[in-house]
Amino acid sequence: MLRSHFLNMALFSVLVSIFFAFLTQTTGRKRVQVMLVMGGSMIVLSLIVAYVMYPFPLPR
Amino acid sequence: MTETAFEVPAEPPVRPRVSPIAPCFLAWLVPGLGHAWLGRRGRAAAFFLVVLATFVLGIASGGASTVIDGQQPLSYLAVVDNLAMGPFDGIARRMTLGELVYRLPDPEGNPRRQEILSRVRDRVRIPTYEYGSTFLLTAGLMNLLLILDAFDIASGRKD
Repeated sequence: MLRSHFLNMALFSVLVSIFFAFLTQTTGRKRVQVMLVMGGSMIVLSLIVAYVMYPFPLPR
Repeated sequence: MTETAFEVPAEPPVRPRVSPIAPCFLAWLVPGLGHAWLGRRGRAAAFFLVVLATFVLGIASGGASTVIDGQQPLSYLAVVDNLAMGPFDGIARRMTLGELVYRLPDPEGNPRRQEILSRVRDRVRIPTYEYGSTFLLTAGLMNLLLILDAFDIASGRKD
């Protein structure tokens, strides 16, 4: 069981990007491009959103 | 005007059409099987591995299949999403809830309802429950897209 938030998020991004690469593209090169762009965007944007949310903790 | 401006555009490729019923059903039965039936073996293998990995991670991370709760309308959608995994949803329910249960019985004080809710609470206590449930729901959504993709390929709308 993965306890790390980051690893869970990264694994999720990788699986989803592989899935959409194979769903939307037919050539190997394009698939790799989609995987890298989609997977990278998901991870980087999630980290940015996480930092933006950092000053606003949930009320206790 | 040059002659090329009047060139007739190339004919769109003629794609063979088959009945979409069999590939859609097969895609629901096992992720990727619809694509394998349509001759897309490589894509089928990739889809099977990715969807299965997402599904297995969902269960291993403590996720649980959703049960319909009349007070929570979104639970209907989540159950439909879980059901998109076909027989795999039955396996997930047996492994996460202990039996094939799809709906919480009414009313509130029903002991059977309390029994099912206590099993759900046991899963919720697992620290990575939210991740697991998200993985399970995502596996269902992926398979829904695969069913629609198999439909498009069979109908000749897509290669």
